[in-house]
Amino acid sequence: MEQQPQASAEAVRTWDRPLVMVPLFVLIAAVGGLFQSFTLSANLLVLAVGGTMIWLGLAGRGGHRPSPTRLTRAAAWWLLPVLLLAAVELYAFARHSIEDYPTLSLLADPLLEGYLARAACYFGWLVAFWGLIRR
Amino acid sequence: MSVSRIVIVSVFVVVAVVFAVVGLLSRRENSKIPTLGDLSGFVMQYRVGKFPVGRVAVLGFWWWVGWHFFAR
Repeated sequence: MEQQPQASAEAVRTWDRPLVMVPLFVLIAAVGGLFQSFTLSANLLVLAVGGTMIWLGLAGRGGHRPSPTRLTRAAAWWLLPVLLLAAVELYAFARHSIEDYPTLSLLADPLLEGYLARAACYFGWLVAFWGLIRR
Repeated sequence: MSVSRIVIVSVFVVVAVVFAVVGLLSRRENSKIPTLGDLSGFVMQYRVGKFPVGRVAVLGFWWWVGWHFFAR
């Protein structure tokens, strides 16, 4: 008698694979690229997509990649760019001058006005989000 | 373009370069620097009781980033 293959907790869900997720993200990014900032459509899409991602992430619906349980002291190297970014953002924000001391989002606004750049950045945001919920 | 604007933009470029360099160093074979993904995964394991504080914080931050750049 043949043995039936056992279902494994490690089994990849049918939808949790690049062949499914990448086209889905391309579609969402293509739509997201159409909506300009400060519009109801843009807000609703980000809230719906982000909310779904957070729900998937908290419910553990995405696959899980192992993460380290301890960090080496070398991990502190990441503080260098993070603190530098935080410092310049806070400084620019505190100066209240859009022209002379722009924050990162103000600098990104002209770039994100173009459809292709906006859709590409939207896609990157979704892929990174997916990477996070799989952790 | 004012000098202060040039300085601010230059610092952002430096930040991007430092991110890229640390990222590349972390991906070398036998690197002691964790990748950004591993670092995020480590932070996301942090819990207070049963509440996944790290997970909520990291996912919430990334949600806010998307909202800030694409909707606000």
